Amino acid sequence: MTDALTRIHAAFADAGVTGRLHAVDIDSGAQLDAGADQPVCTASVHKLCLLVTLHEQAAAGFLDLTEQVECPPEGRTAGPTGLAAMLDGARLSLRDLAYLMMSVSDNAAADLLLARVGLDAVNRTTARLGLTGTHAVHTFGELLATIKEDAGPGGARSLADPHVVARLRALDPARTNHSTPRDMTRLLAAVWRDEACTPEHGAAIRRVLGLQVWPHRLASGFPFDDVHVAGKTGSLPTVRNEVGVVEYPDGGRYAVAVFTRTARTSALQPAADAVIGTAARLAVDALRAPQAGPRGAWPDR
Amino acid sequence: MAQPPLSQRIQRLERRLGVRLFERTSRQVALTEPGALLLAEAREVLARSEAFMATARRVRDGETGLLRAALPPDLSGETVAALLAGFSGAGASGLELELHELSTAQQLERFAAHELDVGLIHHPCDVSGLELGPVLRRELGVLLPRGAAAAGLDEVPLSSLTGHDLILFPRAGAPAVYDDLLTTCARNGYTPPAVRHALGSSFVRGLVLSTEAVAFGPRDTHGHAKEGTEAAAGVDTEKGVVWRPLTGAPLALRHSVAWPAGRGDAAVSAFAEAATHALRTTAGAAPDLPARPLHLRPASEYWL
Repeated sequence: MTDALTRIHAAFADAGVTGRLHAVDIDSGAQLDAGADQPVCTASVHKLCLLVTLHEQAAAGFLDLTEQVECPPEGRTAGPTGLAAMLDGARLSLRDLAYLMMSVSDNAAADLLLARVGLDAVNRTTARLGLTGTHAVHTFGELLATIKEDAGPGGARSLADPHVVARLRALDPARTNHSTPRDMTRLLAAVWRDEACTPEHGAAIRRVLGLQVWPHRLASGFPFDDVHVAGKTGSLPTVRNEVGVVEYPDGGRYAVAVFTRTARTSALQPAADAVIGTAARLAVDALRAPQAGPRGAWPDR
Repeated sequence: MAQPPLSQRIQRLERRLGVRLFERTSRQVALTEPGALLLAEAREVLARSEAFMATARRVRDGETGLLRAALPPDLSGETVAALLAGFSGAGASGLELELHELSTAQQLERFAAHELDVGLIHHPCDVSGLELGPVLRRELGVLLPRGAAAAGLDEVPLSSLTGHDLILFPRAGAPAVYDDLLTTCARNGYTPPAVRHALGSSFVRGLVLSTEAVAFGPRDTHGHAKEGTEAAAGVDTEKGVVWRPLTGAPLALRHSVAWPAGRGDAAVSAFAEAATHALRTTAGAAPDLPARPLHLRPASEYWL
């Protein structure tokens, strides 16, 4: 385990990032901790908390997931994918909005869902699940608005200036939506163990997490046709994250959360994207090694 | 703390907040949901208050205290001297300056450990938790053997270095800077057949002389001759190694002063101004270039 931790830290350094990781064997509780309790900016990873909240509310009968939502083009939260990038009005069910939110990180779909359930409900859900280091303070539109405001008149281009990056509120966990790697693996483990929701809703959550299209982060570490990877990314200037679950054909299943801050300020960060997969693979390999870690280590169950 | 005073204090806090923080039964005490919600915030408040007290100590001691500052090893002696002169001239009377020579990685570690108040760092690096002064750019030129064909040029295009090995600092020192330098070289037509690693300037010169390899360096640390005594463009350094500017200045070192967020006081500002001024006047540092065009791709997830 110590060896794996050393290699994970070396991989982060080699990719030019500061990385935090928590990986846990969902069934035995064996774990790997590389800064697992550090507060981190969640960015779009918080959409996972929103998804769980949505299903919790559906399970409680507060809403129907097939309920139709009008999505007018006006006032949509900005983004490069999904409804956020579409030009015309649409009408979608709550669960299809959730699919867009998770598969392509659609910011507009996420804020339509947030408008339906409310930020407070999301925070109640994460608190109920014992995620004490997790809290949402703004919607995705509000988050992007702080970046726009802090970036100033230079707009997106000025985000390459370290002087500007250093003053973004969106990059300070104390002033934006935040969590810890351990909280996120705990949430994923709860979803996979059907402890967060009923089995029916758990299955629906796992389905959309498995429909995420991005291949460049967590999934890149597991280039095996017989291994299933489900996850949610999060990105902001200098922030590259992904949390997810990796399932092996022998039944082994591992929740992994990787949060990185990059040295570079450029918008494209292929090395940071890739090291999320590399570090996750190192962690899962260590958890799968014979005699890995203390078995049955779930401390508070 | 004895139990009764603790539970009394918790009750007082609950009354004051109007929120029930703990669920109490005869056998156990558990955090309530509202309590859990407030816990994260409370931790932040405590962390902030620690930072606040540390700043207060420095402010209190500011007039007669100690400023722990750091500079990177790649500055010229002239720049360091100008910085020190500027700082002591800034009216920071009674302030003791403890100056260290530290790499960017070492400075970031010390900032995190609260062992450093201000420093001059290289970009790119992870700037989370820091405040920065303006980013300055020191253009890199090329050191090459006098006999090399490109040494005859006033300005050397990167593509004309083709065929020469490159001497560069070991990648582990700053992977992002290392990769960016090589990527920019490749984009401008120079892909070295081999990259050799060296740090010390004498060793670098030795390799340039003996192996026909080239290295990059800023003018101020590689030309002992200054403008006026030499042709404005190139500089002949000792014994057969020449320094030439690169056409279009594609490569640069980028610096800024940095300090832990929220800890900037008068002493830190004085150091930041002195360092910025010294870099501009003695090292030819200029404001960072305006950002290049940006095409955000869909996987960026953010959009302005």
